[in-house]
Amino acid sequence: MKTREVMWDMPLGLQALWYLLVGVSILVFLYGVARPVAKYRRGRSEGLPQASELPRRIWAATKTLYSHASIKRRDSLAGWAHRGIFYGWVVLAIGTVIVALDHDVASPIFGFHFLHGDFYLGFKAALNVLGFALIAGLLLMMMRRAFLRPAKLDYARPDRKPGEPQFDRHVYRVGDWVFVGTLLVIACTGFLLEGVRMEMDHPGYSGFQFGGWLPAQVLSGFDLSQGALGGIRHSVWWFHGLLAIAFVASIPYTKAAHMLSSYASLILRDPTAGKRLPQIPAERAAEPAGYATLADFTVTHLLELDACTKCGKCHEVCPANATGRPLSPRDVILELREEANASMHEVGIGGVLGTLIGRDGDGALDQPVVGPDRVHAETIWACYQCNACVEICPVGIEQAPIINQIRRNLVEEGELDSNLQSTFQTIHKSGNSFGENERRRGRWTEELDFEVTDARTQPVDVLWFVGDYASFDPRSRRVTAALAGLMHEAGVDFGILFDGERNSGNDVRRAGEEGLFESLAEQNVETIDACEFNRIVTSDPHSLNTIRNEYSAFGGDWDVCHHTALLLELLDSKRLEIRRTSPHRVTYHDPCFLGRYNGGYDAPRQIIEALGCTLVEMPRNRDNSFCCGAGGGRIWIPDQPGQERPSENRIREAVGLGELDYFVVSCPKDVTMYEDAIKTSGHADDIELRELTELVRDAVHAPQTASLARE
Amino acid sequence: MRIVVPVKQVARIDDDDALLEDGSGVDPDALEHELNEWDTFSVEAALQVAEEGDEVVVVTVGEREAEEALLTCLAQGADRGIRVWDQRLGDLDPLATARILAAAVERESPDLVLCGVQSSDGVNGATGVALAAHLKLARVAVVRKIERDGQGLVVDRELEGGLLESIRVPLPALLTVQTGINEPRYATLRAIKQAANKPLTVLDLDELGLDPEAVAGASGSRTRRHLKREAGEGAQMLSGSPDEVAGRIAEIIRESTR
Repeated sequence: MKTREVMWDMPLGLQALWYLLVGVSILVFLYGVARPVAKYRRGRSEGLPQASELPRRIWAATKTLYSHASIKRRDSLAGWAHRGIFYGWVVLAIGTVIVALDHDVASPIFGFHFLHGDFYLGFKAALNVLGFALIAGLLLMMMRRAFLRPAKLDYARPDRKPGEPQFDRHVYRVGDWVFVGTLLVIACTGFLLEGVRMEMDHPGYSGFQFGGWLPAQVLSGFDLSQGALGGIRHSVWWFHGLLAIAFVASIPYTKAAHMLSSYASLILRDPTAGKRLPQIPAERAAEPAGYATLADFTVTHLLELDACTKCGKCHEVCPANATGRPLSPRDVILELREEANASMHEVGIGGVLGTLIGRDGDGALDQPVVGPDRVHAETIWACYQCNACVEICPVGIEQAPIINQIRRNLVEEGELDSNLQSTFQTIHKSGNSFGENERRRGRWTEELDFEVTDARTQPVDVLWFVGDYASFDPRSRRVTAALAGLMHEAGVDFGILFDGERNSGNDVRRAGEEGLFESLAEQNVETIDACEFNRIVTSDPHSLNTIRNEYSAFGGDWDVCHHTALLLELLDSKRLEIRRTSPHRVTYHDPCFLGRYNGGYDAPRQIIEALGCTLVEMPRNRDNSFCCGAGGGRIWIPDQPGQERPSENRIREAVGLGELDYFVVSCPKDVTMYEDAIKTSGHADDIELRELTELVRDAVHAPQTASLARE
Repeated sequence: MRIVVPVKQVARIDDDDALLEDGSGVDPDALEHELNEWDTFSVEAALQVAEEGDEVVVVTVGEREAEEALLTCLAQGADRGIRVWDQRLGDLDPLATARILAAAVERESPDLVLCGVQSSDGVNGATGVALAAHLKLARVAVVRKIERDGQGLVVDRELEGGLLESIRVPLPALLTVQTGINEPRYATLRAIKQAANKPLTVLDLDELGLDPEAVAGASGSRTRRHLKREAGEGAQMLSGSPDEVAGRIAEIIRESTR
């Protein structure tokens, strides 16, 4: 009969011992799951999805997992290796369950076997294929770690100095190797066991169990007796079996825990993470804001700490890390996880079970998150809130929003840079970060040869939210004037808010001054609400993000777009006519808040194409765009002299593309950052900065040489 | 111990043509209001000197808008605020302000009064010392460091030429505090909103047992006219590209050192 005997030649006592051990393994596993669940119950339940949303979320997470969409992104080798391991593991685990169902349920209870015949052969073949996939995946991963050694897998921390405890987290490296090593041994001993069986029984369908064929060939070379083979069969069976159940028991305690926590995190992930930062709930208005201790964390954020697989994708893209600042999003998450687990460790079994029964935590997580041996304040302040980490994280961790919550608390504790502090005070007093009297906000219009409508007094089609930099910064005001000219020429019915506009608060919020953000948002929403208009256009991607995604919480629900979208519309509808194409070679920098935050990748590129320019993409483009260093309030915090700035790093990337005419941007903060960086990086002779609007203006305003010649 | 900190909501001119035509004052539209910079340091100093159980009270003289300054101080951590105003009051000079403050501060019988050295708009540097005179308190001006020492204080005051003078002061006393003595803590907007729940008393002259004549009598000066400082003579404005301007400056330096 085409089948196998599961517990071949095993005395009843040993069978009983086996089932006892399986039971212990399951108990250890369950306690391992209960431990973090008890931890999560100590967190705040804010932001948890409704139960009715769960089926859709589980479906979405499962799709992401089975397609490996987030794992293979920007690293196809790791994607293939993980696919092998994942599908191998899942199918072999299902196979084991089928064997158990056949042997321990169907047969003793219902008196029949189903694991035989053709079904058994198909089962064998499938498990053999996936067993090979598992081994191949594991070997690829090992090769990657041993020989390729990608920088993102180096656990050395930028926030610790060599020699400090936990600088390189070598314990994690050992854990990684034990994890893949154990799986490899389990898979190989599985095939060895199959081989011994084949050598003993010669069942005659070795084509369906080719994995066992190789060890069987080796064994046949030794010409062993049935008794010797039986001895080997028993030893391998027990070794393989004990290792497998030990592995199952260890899952929640080791790197393998990500099978559970990462999937759960994908289910609970916030699709608007970073774009829409959480408000302080009304009932906690009088309490300190943000994350002071781990007990302040939401359930989801506590779970996300456990979901991290140390894949290093965030470590690799972080602009702070890339320019030598003491921040790696990965290390923030891991440090927080270590703190949380250390404090749960003190609770013990009683505490864990107690929390599961009753809801109240006993203060186990009441420990500060920031401190000399914990996350450093300078690490939290090094972040640009560019969301590159959130974008690429394969398991839905919200590194930047967690950092933002910690900032909220640091701001309340007064642990912030004095320049940032005075900028907050300036914005509070003047309504803009330049400290200018608001009466001067609309003064750039005085240099135009037409009147700009005051949208507060007259209905307009387009309400133009200009933003601080575009209103006050002398270089950006040239762009602002050009955009006004183009809109006027195209006959756009537009108006601005003049001294009614306030700083939109996007960066104030991301720097952690939530109260100031609330007050700015309330003022702007009130002013805009009193106007009559069809849609809002803004020059500032930062304002675009907060008005589009965050003002709705204050009652502002409008159609908001960036000026590049409007310009494209005007060009497409021929309301603006390109009179002279410009055959320049240019590269384009995606602003974080237009691109990654709001998906505005294509309009600027289509405009560049329409102008006749040749676009040469930088290696880091679109969703992988590299922050200019202005975000998260960092534009208001001076850099340490001598340190490379992200903007300089970016200019070097652009110059590395070869001969280029222009570095094209579409954000007023980029104008400031890159005008500066082109000079400080010593490339003033190599490349020039242009705001996209300026290129459009030059193409539209060009003299009509052809028609002049005809006259 | 009770520490009273008199503070001022100052005006900041941020426009070139802020002066009214008749010279009687400044266009209110061209002004922005904020807590006097020196007072942010004196409030912080009070919070740092205060120990468990001590009380920090902030006092100001001004119209309703001045409560913003008090709220900022309360948000920083002061316990209680007092605002004095009376419709019968007009423009006050430092001595008249000190007279009103004296009445308000006396009611609190403080152990320590901390003033800023001066206000950034008036720049008289007189209110604090006049207040000490009214209250007959020992006073030390331009203080750079405060330490508790038994029942009294040891303070450093700033002298010319980078010298410091260290003085032992018995309490009660009045100090005027110089900028840079500490790093004033940041009052978040949430803290400012929450500060609205802290006690804030508004008093008029009658409640202080004062009358407008007494205040006017304490006055020592009268503003006749505001003038704009004329640009100094002989200034030469250079214009042109940065290269041209730099070249011209180099030329001038060469000529003058020849």
